[in-house]
Amino acid sequence: MLSPALHPRRRARDGARRLGWWMMAPTLAVLAANSIFPLLYAVTVSFKNYQILIPVPHRWVGFANYGKIFSDHLFWSSLGVTMWFVAGVVFLQFPLGMGLALLLHRLRRFQDVLVTLLLIPTIVSSAVAGFQWVQLFNYAFGPINYLLGLLHLGRPTWTADPALALPALIFVDLWQWTPFMTLLLFAGLRSLPGSVVEAARMDGSTVWQIVWRIYLPLLRPIIGIALILRVLMTFKLFDIIYVLTAGGPGTVTENLAFFTYVQGFRYFNLGYASALAILQLIVVSILAKALIQLTKRSGIGGREAAA
Amino acid sequence: MRRQGIGLSDLVCGFALVVALFVFLAPVLWMLITAVKPPGEWLNEPPVFIPSELHWANFTDALFKWGGLKGLTDSLIVASLSTVLSLLLGVPAAYAIGRYQTGGDNLSFTVLSILFMPPVAVAIPMYLFWSALGLIDSYTALILQYMVFNIPFLTWVLKGFFEDIPRDMEDSAMVNGATRWRAFWEIAVPLARPAILAVSLLAFIFSWNEFFFALILTRANVTTLPFILPVLMEGHDVLWGDIAAIATLGALPVVILAFALQKYLVRGLSFGTLR
Repeated sequence: MLSPALHPRRRARDGARRLGWWMMAPTLAVLAANSIFPLLYAVTVSFKNYQILIPVPHRWVGFANYGKIFSDHLFWSSLGVTMWFVAGVVFLQFPLGMGLALLLHRLRRFQDVLVTLLLIPTIVSSAVAGFQWVQLFNYAFGPINYLLGLLHLGRPTWTADPALALPALIFVDLWQWTPFMTLLLFAGLRSLPGSVVEAARMDGSTVWQIVWRIYLPLLRPIIGIALILRVLMTFKLFDIIYVLTAGGPGTVTENLAFFTYVQGFRYFNLGYASALAILQLIVVSILAKALIQLTKRSGIGGREAAA
Repeated sequence: MRRQGIGLSDLVCGFALVVALFVFLAPVLWMLITAVKPPGEWLNEPPVFIPSELHWANFTDALFKWGGLKGLTDSLIVASLSTVLSLLLGVPAAYAIGRYQTGGDNLSFTVLSILFMPPVAVAIPMYLFWSALGLIDSYTALILQYMVFNIPFLTWVLKGFFEDIPRDMEDSAMVNGATRWRAFWEIAVPLARPAILAVSLLAFIFSWNEFFFALILTRANVTTLPFILPVLMEGHDVLWGDIAAIATLGALPVVILAFALQKYLVRGLSFGTLR
């Protein structure tokens, strides 16, 4: 009884498997050629003394490039800059994004229009956004300094001031990405069952109690996802630094990505830059793994395979 | 059920939203104002808040004098081709992962992790790779490079969507003699159309806006809009009106698309993580 029934089913499964691989093949070919092989190449370069500007034969140097990273004070300062951006995400973007999401959630109408309007800073190119802030921060002709002047608050040079350049960039990142944070949290709020909140409201809970005791605990997985996603993106941050400060003044606003770019494309220390790149990749993969575990456990993102 | 009437807290919330909206849109507004200022008002102290006339010549200068037209064309070529090609490859891949679990969890994680890869991590080998092929400053290199990020993104989003579509319809089609491929192409794909539209929009926006690889892989032959902006800003920092016009032209298609496909945008951006 069993075996004739099993047979066609196994054949069906083989057919599905074969078709599945055929459907994946072109994607795998493109991704392998354009990311996996380059990555493997970067790994080999990271173990060599590969420098374009110095015409010495390339040889294997073992972990020398990696060792150099940890004694390079520029690495540590760029790591510090990256961490400041991460702190901006966690302590500024998240609370602000949450607040805005709660405000939007209260609205009865216009939610989609408002979200789309708010998202304009996120969806325009960083080059465009960067230009807007170059204008706004301008020492002599910018509207920010004009308004500060009216209030007799002085005239900072913003992106040229070693003390203000990094806060200014963190502010631009805040402006650019808080709407995205809002969007994720708002979509999360919308997916909550309304009955829970209504029940709490009937109990006579205040708004704060509802937020603290109901929204935040229920949203925890989504908050985790939003935070990890934004931290991952912060590790890639490059564009607005390039446009607004180019890492300066000095190296005050050089984050890890920008430092790696400078090593690779300005000084052509390809071995060293590759080692830096691999190091970042390891950190990012760990974060990405955590993100995916989180989406799975919450049952929100990828569903467990049902086969 | 919500309370009826408008209370004090509603007013406070409304006010907060208006303030937020102003803060997030003021820089955009300033760009638009600059784009229509006559040259004499670009660099003024104090800055000019309301232009004395609408100087549309900034836009013609931007398009024809400073390479804006070439920039728009190149951005359009690169963004649309990389989006279409990514769909052609990514939709079947997403279906294979979602429906057949091809390659299991490890493969889908590998594909997905490419999405989070810092571009700078592959920049050096990619630069050497495209140089070796003589494709630096070519459409091919940029299009393929963007596909590397578009494909994992749309695979991730669409995989979940295909998992959600009930299997029954495809199964019954196959009982009636349809091949697996036809079940995919004629049943699953049409059902997933809203999701496909949403991810295409986002892939297009990403490719239209991308800056880092444009900076590294192009010179003078291919000049996408994000690429020419910083070049102009460095070279001629007094051309604010013209640069603002180019920036506006670069932002406009994205914003129009976003509004036209509003519902999909909100869903598309969020259901990568929430569905």
